[in-house]
Amino acid sequence: MDIRLRNIKKTYNSKTVLQIDSLKIKKGKITGILGPNGSGKTTMMKIIGDLIKPDTGRVEYDGKGFESASDRLTYVSHNSYLFNDSVFGNIAAPLKFRDMKKEYIEKRVEELIDNFQIRYLKYENALTLSGGEKQKVALARALSFKPEVLLIDEPTSNIDPNFIKLIESALKRINNDLKTTIVIVTHNTAQSLRLCEEIIFMRDGNVIQQTLTKNIVNSNDEFIKEFIELN
Amino acid sequence: MDYIIEGVKGAFKLILSLDKEIYSIVLLSIYVSFASTVISSLIGVPLGLVTGIKEFRGKRLLSKIYYTFMGLPPVVVGLVTVLIISRSGPLGTVGLIYTPTAMIIAQSLLVTPIITGIIFTNSKDTGLEIINICKTLGANKKHTFFKLIKELKPLILVATVTGFGRAISEVGAVMIVGGNIKGHTRVMTTFIAMSNSMGNYDTSIAMGIILLIISFSANSFLYNRTMGDSNGYKIKKY
Amino acid sequence: MKHLKKAISLIMIVMLLLVVGCAMEPVGPEESSEEESVEESEEQIGGELILATTTSTENSGLLDYILPDFEEKTGVDVKVVAVGTGAALQKGIDGEADVLLVHAIEREEAFVAEGHGPARYDVMYNDFVIIGPESDPAEVEGLKVVEALTKISEAEAIFVSRGDDSGTHTKEKSLWESAKITPEEDWYVSVGKGMGDTITMAEELQGYTMSDRATYLSMKENLESVVLVEGDEILFNQYGVMQVDPGKNDQINSAGAEAFVNWIISEKAQELIGTYKAYGEVLFNPNAK
Repeated sequence: MDIRLRNIKKTYNSKTVLQIDSLKIKKGKITGILGPNGSGKTTMMKIIGDLIKPDTGRVEYDGKGFESASDRLTYVSHNSYLFNDSVFGNIAAPLKFRDMKKEYIEKRVEELIDNFQIRYLKYENALTLSGGEKQKVALARALSFKPEVLLIDEPTSNIDPNFIKLIESALKRINNDLKTTIVIVTHNTAQSLRLCEEIIFMRDGNVIQQTLTKNIVNSNDEFIKEFIELN
Repeated sequence: MDYIIEGVKGAFKLILSLDKEIYSIVLLSIYVSFASTVISSLIGVPLGLVTGIKEFRGKRLLSKIYYTFMGLPPVVVGLVTVLIISRSGPLGTVGLIYTPTAMIIAQSLLVTPIITGIIFTNSKDTGLEIINICKTLGANKKHTFFKLIKELKPLILVATVTGFGRAISEVGAVMIVGGNIKGHTRVMTTFIAMSNSMGNYDTSIAMGIILLIISFSANSFLYNRTMGDSNGYKIKKY
Repeated sequence: MKHLKKAISLIMIVMLLLVVGCAMEPVGPEESSEEESVEESEEQIGGELILATTTSTENSGLLDYILPDFEEKTGVDVKVVAVGTGAALQKGIDGEADVLLVHAIEREEAFVAEGHGPARYDVMYNDFVIIGPESDPAEVEGLKVVEALTKISEAEAIFVSRGDDSGTHTKEKSLWESAKITPEEDWYVSVGKGMGDTITMAEELQGYTMSDRATYLSMKENLESVVLVEGDEILFNQYGVMQVDPGKNDQINSAGAEAFVNWIISEKAQELIGTYKAYGEVLFNPNAK
């Protein structure tokens, strides 16, 4: 689906944390949101995921409101709430919400468990897992129903370097196979360069550049240049 | 010192003898406190959840009100109840004074704020998280509601068992509205108070031991259900 | 399936407790309807009767012994509320009780005079005793009450008073009046508690106190204090029964109260009272006229 932000403004305690006149998220592509802390990245993501309401403005999903898109879009933060249930139960949850057939659910969850290499955790209570394991489960859960849009905030911040590649290739694959639109907030410039086709760069609540990844490295903006170097 | 030992010995003899009077008192205590806990949960759990999760003006004021009522002294609750249900009170014609029903009412008044308060305090953050996650995973209202209850089950358990513990161990409210009437409204706590003032140490110790066993069992049950499942839940009671 | 089983067992437990709880509510006498009792005496009244009496009366165990006779004859379920005399009388004044059984003649007569009840009747008497440490520092053993209290006051020996406006306390005050002493100093300890607690306190402080014989006997085993003054007529304690004026409110069970008064002064009840023994001794002397 096409996602468009129009005239979005959000203020906290008389400080404007986000101000976007117009922004379009490219459909079917992997987009990265880059910027320093406090630049409004997470706020914007949450507004797109309808977890926060903007003070003014709106987000359009194929020209319509959020309700039309709510079951085709998902948001994963870096410390998502996991249900007090087994790993299997967590990943299966969204499918149960959609009243899917038992056989399908089993097949799909097994598939994800293999993709994320967490077979040994299948029956463990999700709350007892390590940070990295939890993140994998959260991601697998969010992907179980094959959403059209995946919004992720810091996907690999807790994860073992060994598994970062695993996650990244999983993301690449679903974008490739299912044409899933993926929006990633990350601090890791190198990761965004690896994964993303387009970068949205933010600073102080504004988008200061939106361009293809290969162009961002050649940016003329001093701030951006410095940021990329440091990260 | 002797009378303590004699008291404890006599107590065990009494407990093992399955004395009818003692056990009917125990059963009445459990009935009254269990019933009031059920009533309090039916009111307090939804109330705590709704006010905990929703954002609204005056939420902080409500929080303070809950905290205040959580600390209501049982005697005061008993006093207020008696003023209402005594014959000269507004509800006098119902004839509730000196009945187990009156005791259940008084204990419900006492325990409801406790359950509400615990649920409220702990669902504020967790409740919202659950609702948000369900939203991102495409759950409808019905699914979200059931997930909420399921996820908060340990919390609900803690709140209700805490409430029950308070109910079964209080003496002020049940004494005032029930009158400790033999065969009608005598419960463990009022019996202990009375036995003690009569110098009957063996019966008061016997009853005290039974009360402790019940209290301990309830809390053990709670511990096993919430901690045993490797939950690592940290639940604030205040 | 697991959850279903758990839910079912929980529901069964709840239901079991509710059933037990209902069984706890006094069923018995209330349930026998008046029409059914053709074979039974026509005195079956049913209903509940709130009898306000004193803690010492209830603690003596007398009521457990004699009440079943009344309950059988009339089908009335008697609820015995034991509080201090002052509180019992107040319940009568407020119409919160149906009938009173207390031991404070002057206050009872005032109760009737003020119109709170139709009449008072003598029922029985028991006696008080003055107990104290075996060492008897004030040397009061065997004396008459007035002399004993005088010596206690002069020796400034510790005397523990109930101080709770009960019948016993009223009696105790009248004894001091008879001795023309107003005990105010440190040696006179007023505790505001029931008889048992008061005796315990006196024991702890190695002091004297006045108690009804029954409560003392019930605690005797665990006490070192002994009876030092007894038998003086001034220590006799007259019990009276009074119906509460039915006009006070609609909930008063006047039929039951009237039946109770008639019963307790009847031959049968008086006989029961006279044969009641506790701790090996007869405690009450029936003297209804």
